[in-house]
Order: sequence, then structure tokens, then C-alpha cells
Amino acid sequence: MCLAIPMQVVAIDGFTARCSAKGVERDVSLFLMQDEPLAVGDYVMIHVGYAIQKVTEADALSSWELFDEILTQEPEPPPRADSP
Amino acid sequence: MAHTARQWLDRIHALPLPARVRIMNVCGGHERSITAAGLRGALPAAIELIPGPGCPVCVCPEEDVYHAIQIALREEVTLVAFGDMLRVPVNLPAGEVRSLEQARAAGGDVRPIASPREAARLAEAHPERPVVFFAAGFETTTAPVAAMVAEGAPDNLFLLLSGRLTWPAVAMLLDSGEPGFDCLVAPGHVSTVMGPEEWAFVVDRHGIPAAVAGFEPDTLLAAFYSVLRQHTEARPFLDNCYPKVVRPGGNPAARRCLDETMEVVDATWRGIGTIPRSGYQLKSVYASHDARLQFPGYGDEARRRAGQMPAGCDCAQVVLGKLYPTDCRLYGNLCTPRAPVGPCMVSDEGACRIWWSAGRGRE
Repeated sequence: MCLAIPMQVVAIDGFTARCSAKGVERDVSLFLMQDEPLAVGDYVMIHVGYAIQKVTEADALSSWELFDEILTQEPEPPPRADSP
Repeated sequence: MAHTARQWLDRIHALPLPARVRIMNVCGGHERSITAAGLRGALPAAIELIPGPGCPVCVCPEEDVYHAIQIALREEVTLVAFGDMLRVPVNLPAGEVRSLEQARAAGGDVRPIASPREAARLAEAHPERPVVFFAAGFETTTAPVAAMVAEGAPDNLFLLLSGRLTWPAVAMLLDSGEPGFDCLVAPGHVSTVMGPEEWAFVVDRHGIPAAVAGFEPDTLLAAFYSVLRQHTEARPFLDNCYPKVVRPGGNPAARRCLDETMEVVDATWRGIGTIPRSGYQLKSVYASHDARLQFPGYGDEARRRAGQMPAGCDCAQVVLGKLYPTDCRLYGNLCTPRAPVGPCMVSDEGACRIWWSAGRGRE
């Protein structure tokens, strides 16, 4: 639950930003970023719909590689001896 | 500076390690990365990686889950919670409503959400209907909940808050005299919010090597190398191996939101007991949004004493890093993600669920 993922800011409207990552767009809150001015094009770490930190583009890209790995490795619990 | 995972592994293998050294992590995300990348198999045999208290769903009090279920069943409300919470069973006999998922099947209006913003939007869209947000989580998750409250929650939104702080559980283990680990890898995104300084006590008071880590294999391995080198040289300090995201002082706006809306109180951890100053509670100025005050408690004293892990379930010992998931008698036979007995097999952050999903059978 404490995993944050990087997204790129596409548009900003008050405390709400349109953010994008790998073709997916989401509205996220910037309420926790009040001490760090953001601009369109910046990368932010998003956790439960809130930006919690600004990151560099290079760091954002390296994180995406990890999440690709995790997502491909864990679809649903494996069937195994798990069947009812 | 930017070494690859392979380079960090080579450096670790070159260290003069003792016969056994135990590194604890306290973050389900860390355990997931370690397990998914197969890091245990790549490290020298002397190194034990122990998953510790890193799953807020796993330690959410049974009484709170019961309370949420009863509110969903008995009150005219919409109850929302992060998805993991819906399948956590309480200690009731089969046939009774034992989870929020079963409460939904029994007619309760229970919905999973992925963000506190969804709870607020739902309440705004239906001002006539109370929305109860059952919010379990560590600091990383509780700060956004605090932001939602500080920004101005709708009048019909109520919080059943089960927020927990991470470091007090580690402090409890260290103060017990038998911590069960020699080095600590501190959580990356908790530290992003709260600042890495929160973990200085591990080094300053207990002389235990510590490093904040991110979630890619290279930053985790950098943190392992750091604490192992600290350990072999008997020169502990608090290292930050995730500086691209973790800054000194954390996120000041997030800490301000937490301070404005919540106070830190003694709190119950399921199966473990009360840990001093380890929980978040809404400040009294927000009493009108506190579901604990605005709805009946529903649990009598007998129920409160039932607030443990299920019979035969070793989740509490797994959470504390005293047992591995595969040491539990229920793991993989009576307890699986499809029919979980304990919360560690339910949550994506639970060590049992993570190990099972990676195909680890009983040993």
C-alpha cells in the first residue's frame, strides 16, 4: 500500500493535475506538493491519488521498468494446490 | 555512483561477512521487490532477509474491521475502503458475516476505492447519504487522508481511521531486547513523507546499521551493501540509498497536513497488542467527521477481547519477523489467497500473500 509510482504532469488546474504514465492518464491531487512548485512536464511520485514527491525524468523512467516487472510477474494468485 | 544490481551483488559477495547476518525490512513493497527479483537466492547464504512489520492491513485491529462491517450492515451508509481491507476476515464463526466483502454480499453498500479523493467525490455526489471511509494505512497513506481532511471534507463524509506509524513497531522490537535482526532497511515512501531522520534512533539508541531503500533491485541492493558494510566494520550510521525521492525532513506539506488534522495516540496492532504512540486519531476539531464518535461502537467488551489473529494463524509472529510465512501451519493448505484465514494472506503487502504469489510452497 505504500508503493508510489511516477507519472508526468500533463496539465495543472489549482490543486489538481492531469498526469500520465505509459498511456494511462489520471487526475491527481497536488495538495501535498504545496511547498514545491510544479510545472507541466515535471515528474511526480503518486500514491493513492496524491503526488508526494517530485523526481527527475531519469528516475521516473527507471522506476517504470520495475513496475513493468512486478506487473508481469504477479497477475492473480496462481492456481496450484489452491483450488477449493 | 549509479551501480547496477550486478555490481552491488559483487560488492556484497566481496564483503567479509559473519556466519549469519539478519536484515529486516518493514515495508510490504520492499518484500515484494525482494521476492519478485529473487534477491534471496542471489545473496550469500549468510544473509537472511526478514520481512517485518510492513503491512498496515495485517495489523489493523480486528475490532476496527468488525466495526466497519457492522456499520455497513446496520447503518444507511456507503462504506468505502482500500481494496485490500474488503477480504480481511474477523474472528466470527463461519456462516456469520466475516468480512466487508461478505457484508456487501449480504446487502451492505460496500465499495473499494483507490484514493481518498474517491471517498470525497462520492460524498459530494450524494450529499444526502453518509459515506464512511475505513482508512487503514501507514504514514504514506495516512498523509493523503489528512490532505483530504485538511482540504475540506464534505459534511457527509466520516472517517473510521486506522492509521499507524511504522517506526514505533521497530522501536518496540528493539526495546524488547530480542529484536531478531542485525540490520534494518527502512521504508522508502514512508521516509519520503516523514523524512529519513525518523530512523536515526535505530542507530543512535541501538547501534543497529540502517539504510533507507527504494524499490528497484539496485537501490535495495545498495541498501543491503550499506548496512552489511556498516555491520562488518562496526560503524553504524543512517544511510539514505533512495535520495532521488527521500529528502531531509520528508515532505513538509504532508507532515503539516498530518499535524493539523491528526494526533498521535497509543494504538492496538492486531495480534500484537498496544504500541505506544503508534496510531493516528482525528483531532477533536474534526469530531463531526469521526465515524468512531458519530456511529455506535457495536463491539461489546467480549468482542474487544476477541481482537486477535484467528485460531492457529501465525500472522502476528510473521508481522514481527519472528516466523517466516512458510513456518505457519496454515500457510498454503488451510490459508491461501483464495480462502485466506489471516490478513497476511489477504493483503498485497502481507508477507504470506507475497511469498505464495511468488510460488513459494511449504518447506
